[in-house]
Amino acid sequence: MNQKKISSRVYSIVKSAITAAVLPVFLIYIMIDKPDYKIMNGLAKIVLPVAQWVGDGVTWPIHAIGKAASGIRELSTLRSENEELKVRLSDALRNKTECDIAISENQHLTQQLDIVKEIPQKSIVANITYNNEAFSHSTFFINKGYDSGVESGMAVVSFEGSLVGIVSDVAENFAKVRSLTDSKSNIPVRIAGSEVYGFLQGNGSNTPTIGFFSDPEFQPTRGLKLITSGIRGVLPNGIPIGEMTSHEDVNVVLPSKISDVIVLKFNSKDKYK
Amino acid sequence: MIKKISDFLRTAFPFLAVLVLWHLSVPFWNPGGILALIPIFYYSFINPVPWFVPYAAVFCFLIDYKFDTLLFWTFIYCMFYAANGFQNFVDLTRQKNEGVMVFMAYFSVASFLLVILGWNFIGLFRAIWLVLWLGTLYIPFAALAQRIKK
Repeated sequence: MNQKKISSRVYSIVKSAITAAVLPVFLIYIMIDKPDYKIMNGLAKIVLPVAQWVGDGVTWPIHAIGKAASGIRELSTLRSENEELKVRLSDALRNKTECDIAISENQHLTQQLDIVKEIPQKSIVANITYNNEAFSHSTFFINKGYDSGVESGMAVVSFEGSLVGIVSDVAENFAKVRSLTDSKSNIPVRIAGSEVYGFLQGNGSNTPTIGFFSDPEFQPTRGLKLITSGIRGVLPNGIPIGEMTSHEDVNVVLPSKISDVIVLKFNSKDKYK
Repeated sequence: MIKKISDFLRTAFPFLAVLVLWHLSVPFWNPGGILALIPIFYYSFINPVPWFVPYAAVFCFLIDYKFDTLLFWTFIYCMFYAANGFQNFVDLTRQKNEGVMVFMAYFSVASFLLVILGWNFIGLFRAIWLVLWLGTLYIPFAALAQRIKK
């Protein structure tokens, strides 16, 4: 009995020693494999789909119930949504003439100023499968990967054309996107209609902040619209980002508010890091 | 036959609980499948199950991948496992209330470190919420695990 106890204690210490030995390996790995962390990301691309697949199999009844409930909820709100859409459509039709005039004027001015607007080389429609928002991190998964032509550094926009995030990691059938609200996100932006540049920094909240303006005398105010600047060479110039809600907060499209996105590939000069 | 199925489910419950909680991740309530840390902690330290540790490490790694926190939760888990195995002053399997206080301490310290690494107030509030939420859910989970064991 006593011998059994001793051998169990030795076994426990051996297991702990093996686990403890892993810790310096992790630390060394973190120091040497940055910034891409290819081994860990590569491993995740194998383990995650397997876990996802098994998880789908185990949790299908929960998903089925959830889908049924959301279907019922959608049906119940359909009538009121229809009425609201009718009002919005009539408003949009009223604005259409003004928009047509503005578009033709814009085209004319673009030709006169010799501005070359970048057109995406490729666009892929994808669904948001997981929204991982926690602490100051905000990433989400989409259901398209390198099988569909998604690459790291591609811009992810909403159906309205506003930037939602940038693809940070790609697997065969899915990709991880870093949203604008993630604390690691820092994008060079421009105030639309001006030559003032700044940096949009995610902070984990729903409203990233803008700062480091190129013009020190510039006074940021509510209502100003932001677009990408194209300075860093990853994103092109002119993708709408959002609107300022105070002197530093910016209202952007949140991944939790949308279910589908478009992934755009531009002729980038630099690699996304 | 029924006994065989129930025995299988009883054995599989720790593994299934981790998988289901990780898989059903939703923002706010279960961001990145963080609730899976409850069964991971419970079946690694309070009520150890054979072959659970490597499985738990894999899921910590998957939580890290979803969170975009490179190896953080995996590192913390391995560190706690090693520290617990080397010492024999505190027997976690005999803790009061199924070790809820130890779990709270484990998760609070880890969350605090994560907040410090990317400091901002939103992150701090989210961490406080998650500590309270996971601490609250730990109690019914431990009670359920006890019932399933019997």
